[in-house]
Amino acid sequence: MLRTTLAISLLFGLVACDASAQRRLPGTLVIVSGEYATLPVPTLMEGPASTTENTHVADLLFLRLAVEGPGRSTLDESGYEPQLARSWSRRDSLTLVFELDPRARWHDGRNVTAEDVVFTFQRAMNPVIAPSLAELLQGIDAVRSEGQRRVVISFKRPYPEQFFDATHYVQPLPAHLLRALDPDSIAISDFAQAPVGNGAFRWSRAVPGQLLEFTANPAFFLGRPGIGRIVIRVATDASARLNLLLSGEADALRAPVPPLSNRDQLEARGFRLVTIPSSSVGYLLFNTHARGDSARPHPILADVRVRRALVLALDRDAMLRSMLGPYAKVPYGPIPTSLWLSELAPKAADRDSMQAAQLLDAAGWRDSNGDGIRDRNGAPLALTVEVPGTSMLRRRLTEIAMAQHRELGIDLSMTVSDRGVWMERLNGGNFDVIFGSLSQEPTPSAFPQTWSCEGSGNASGWCEPVVDSLMTAARRATGDATPVWLAAMRALEESAPAAFLYAPYDVVALHRRFENVSLRPGSPWMMAWRWRVRRGAEIARDRVPR
Amino acid sequence: MARWLARRLLHAVLTVAIAITLAFFLMRLAPGDPLSRLGDERPMPASELAGLRARYGLDQPLLAQYTTFVAAAVGGDFGRSIHYGRPVREIILDRLPASLLLGGGALLLTMLGGALLGALQALRRDSLLDRTAGVVSLAAYATPSFWLGLVLAWLVGIEWRLLPVGGFRDPLLAADASWMLQVADVLRHLALPLLTLTIVSIGAVMRYQRTAMLEALAQPFVAAARARGLSERRIRWRHALRTSLFPIVTLLGLWLPVLAAGSVFVESVFAWPGLGSLAAEAVGTRDYPLLMGVTLLVAVLVVLGGLLADIAYAALDPRVRPA
Repeated sequence: MLRTTLAISLLFGLVACDASAQRRLPGTLVIVSGEYATLPVPTLMEGPASTTENTHVADLLFLRLAVEGPGRSTLDESGYEPQLARSWSRRDSLTLVFELDPRARWHDGRNVTAEDVVFTFQRAMNPVIAPSLAELLQGIDAVRSEGQRRVVISFKRPYPEQFFDATHYVQPLPAHLLRALDPDSIAISDFAQAPVGNGAFRWSRAVPGQLLEFTANPAFFLGRPGIGRIVIRVATDASARLNLLLSGEADALRAPVPPLSNRDQLEARGFRLVTIPSSSVGYLLFNTHARGDSARPHPILADVRVRRALVLALDRDAMLRSMLGPYAKVPYGPIPTSLWLSELAPKAADRDSMQAAQLLDAAGWRDSNGDGIRDRNGAPLALTVEVPGTSMLRRRLTEIAMAQHRELGIDLSMTVSDRGVWMERLNGGNFDVIFGSLSQEPTPSAFPQTWSCEGSGNASGWCEPVVDSLMTAARRATGDATPVWLAAMRALEESAPAAFLYAPYDVVALHRRFENVSLRPGSPWMMAWRWRVRRGAEIARDRVPR
Repeated sequence: MARWLARRLLHAVLTVAIAITLAFFLMRLAPGDPLSRLGDERPMPASELAGLRARYGLDQPLLAQYTTFVAAAVGGDFGRSIHYGRPVREIILDRLPASLLLGGGALLLTMLGGALLGALQALRRDSLLDRTAGVVSLAAYATPSFWLGLVLAWLVGIEWRLLPVGGFRDPLLAADASWMLQVADVLRHLALPLLTLTIVSIGAVMRYQRTAMLEALAQPFVAAARARGLSERRIRWRHALRTSLFPIVTLLGLWLPVLAAGSVFVESVFAWPGLGSLAAEAVGTRDYPLLMGVTLLVAVLVVLGGLLADIAYAALDPRVRPA
């Protein structure tokens, strides 16, 4: 009997030991970032708080009703994955109905209800509270609840991206914690200092300006997170960020400009570099109005032939190869690599010096005095490019553009200024050419904000009614809007409001011990709850205190 | 003495007021404002911009903004940071301990080490030690702090993995760790930035001290002391060293602001959360309230440093003591 008991005990002991050895450590992901997330609360990320870092942190804490599949068209409702909504349906062409997942909980344990969604949409659609968000949600007429779990969203008119508008921009907030607060005071409330979300990670602590810590929410209704905690450390200096990775003090870094020269060092120290599409596009914007005077046309750039010649004079492929290697491509119009339209768009025009020269000749710009610079009526073809001093990449690309333009008799010069001064010139239209870079929402419907006659972000006065009407048609198309969007982009390219130079890819340096990794363009850490630490590759910090 | 002190204090207050007023107006007269830098690189709709201007009081006339700032600042309220959205006073108080630790540590090591090494150089004049220390101190003085910081971080932190290369504390250290563990952790993080700042600053003190000590040793009182039969050790380390410390006291007063403002480059390279990097950030984002808060603190420290140096000088040297 004793022998049997001992044998059973031994067997149980061995099984227990084996189970313990097999148990996966929860893991810690240390992300190093260049900026501190000051206010990662949906509907408050406006003005000074409209930063990338706030968006990334908000995506860890707050879910959406549904999230678009990576790389999928925003026109395609079938490509969405459920988050707070477990299902959805259409009542008619103007009404979407979302059924909330009954398992969804706030981090304080309360249920996520339809009232939370309605409350947040009311805030988001209020131009006084959230002016930028309200502009993006103009297509929505009303949001209401039907019981605890059903949300009904009505639209003003039928359009293809209703589902995108209903799900992308708004991450519900807990009405039970915020309703009693004055809308203006939420930004300075305790909630803003330690937001209560509904995502896979909950707010753990913050050391302002230095770090944020999140712990896994074991009761997360979509599945237990594979990582126990996430720490976001802040280092404003690029060298300091890289050093934290190389010294093993951090695991992940998103670098907007690829750390080309450090690739080997990073790989030798157990990191892999993952490329993900970026939402940015860099371009030389041509002012069609006279400098600082929107009532008069620009003496050179108002002519579409000159603008097109300026684009055709550039060997954009060579520029990118020399500066960004494989980490960027020449965009077709303002289409970033993260936008689904990017794969469908044709290749951007190659350099064509002959055609560029013909266009300039036709516009009356010839080198009449033999000084190598074209002129017309005694005025040289001279333009200044305004470049923000913060961007070395843009300075280098401008230098290459200057050399290439000079070959065609165009005198391009560069002014480098402080970002504040540069922005003032952009806002006041006080420039010939400005080297801009924009981060694009993952929908072509955001193009008109910048690239339309009346766009609120149109700084150059460029106006091409054909492009406007095509974009309006695309936004309202009842069938497949893709061909209409491509036609709009073709018309935009022909009108050349800018020389679109680069559509980059973001590079994420990530430690190899993480597996099951998926990185989303625009929000690389959003799916970090599905990551886990490879067995046997754990390090000391992966032992998370429970 | 009391009247002299009162007069110096009045001067100090006036100097701070002038510095703050100049900073306030120069900052606003410089092109670019905090709101034009916000968000993405597309012009902000006029209505949105107007709303933000009103929220931060930037739509008020300049003089009204100034009087509002002064009235609040007198009560210790520097407003709310535009970038961080938090009260400026809170942000500065958050950063002050790290700055005091790095700046205070560097000041202490620089002054003590510099005075001692400089005095030794003077005592071993033209020896191998003097010549070597002279070359090394000059090289250290000429070394850019950010470069030295990067080299040390690479060598000690990345290659040898002996010390952390960034931050004030280990973010993963358990909250209930013993105080000894916590102190050790801070010291480990402090080591590289402190070493960097000390190396680049100590050279100047050594050279000042060497010259002052040589001058002191040539003074008649040293010969008189020898004639009275005092030991050489007592003459050097008590009488000559004390006399030679006057320039160092002046330097100490001038370097007091380093205590708080620290070194922007060193703080940036080591992600040290001090006031230097905060000030650089505030300049970059044109965060007026934050910039004014830091400027006021530095102005007060500069003036206080000068005042303390004057007082110490008077205490050490009866000849400059006010009647």
